[in-house]
Amino acid sequence: MARDGSLRGLRSAYALLLKLYPRSYRERFGEPMLQTFHDLLRERAAEGRNLFRFTFWMFAETLAATLRENGIMITLHRKPLVRIVLVTVLILIVPLVANQTVEGFDWGLFDFVVIGAVLFGTGLAYHLVASRLNAITYRVAVGLALAAAFVLFWMNAAAGIIGGPNEDLANLLYVGGVLAVGFIGALLARLRPRGMAWALFAMALTQALVAGVALAAGWGAGEPVWPWGFAILTGIFVTIWVGSALLFLRASRDQPMSGELA
Amino acid sequence: MAKGTSSAPLTPAVLHILLALATQDRHGYGIMKQVEADSREKVSMGPGTLYGSIRRMIDAGLIRESDKAIDPAMDDERRVYYAITGIGREALAAELQRYREVVAVAKRERLSARGLAHGA
Repeated sequence: MARDGSLRGLRSAYALLLKLYPRSYRERFGEPMLQTFHDLLRERAAEGRNLFRFTFWMFAETLAATLRENGIMITLHRKPLVRIVLVTVLILIVPLVANQTVEGFDWGLFDFVVIGAVLFGTGLAYHLVASRLNAITYRVAVGLALAAAFVLFWMNAAAGIIGGPNEDLANLLYVGGVLAVGFIGALLARLRPRGMAWALFAMALTQALVAGVALAAGWGAGEPVWPWGFAILTGIFVTIWVGSALLFLRASRDQPMSGELA
Repeated sequence: MAKGTSSAPLTPAVLHILLALATQDRHGYGIMKQVEADSREKVSMGPGTLYGSIRRMIDAGLIRESDKAIDPAMDDERRVYYAITGIGREALAAELQRYREVVAVAKRERLSARGLAHGA
């Protein structure tokens, strides 16, 4: 009876060790591995052999295998990272050239670092999110939303979108508020297509509302593009958010397991 | 190891797993026991090595997962069985042919294990 208890304990400990494997590997081979380990344990126990040395060897061998499989997984995922870095560098070449050739264009090291980090983060976010569902509409929707979010951030970082005495609050709401709604919405939706659609609709609504308040309050009055340039810009972003939301909705309908991630 | 490279040399673990599956489908524990028996207990794999090899062999098309089934010789737990594929059989046949050719060379040169061990 005590032997059965110790076998169960060792099996539970081995199950914990298996959690070190990459998830995809664990889901595929975790159960058969646990069964095999248990079969081997029972065999040794039935033969009355020392379980300690055997278990130690099994755990060491499996630990080494988890390191190997994680290494393989990291190697497999390194290529997209290299691609993202390359694209980031390529895009940064544009302002670098502009720094030398365009009068009045003067980016400092800080600008390059911030925009480089945001570009890399956007690319990484696209890779992590889009790779979770193998549907072209979902990927296009993610790409569209992230690209628009990046452009919105860049425009605001470059010169601010809304000018005037309340520009800090106005831009915080217009850019930060919209992006925060999207981020929180994506978290709540756990990246599922249908939930993402609602997050994007919420972003569109937030941006339209903030723009409406800004126009009504005349926050940016006095700016050369006020109010039509601002209204058109808002219209473009709202259209993009809604377009992305519709693509997410379509992705949720196209998936056999509606709304479920792979 | 990619599909279509069935004539490439096999690692010892892959060779032994293919040999174990050549006669019948087996679950993980069954493969281990068969490998031990085939190698007269000279080759012993832990679950980490075994299932790492199984993953690569499935990806290469050498073996495939069969349906879960109960092993009547064991308990009533359902187990995943593994089966050799056509590509796996070709790879095994090519590897065994390589071994035969190596043994033929050794015979032609009158080399024996005992003689080599004694520096003859």
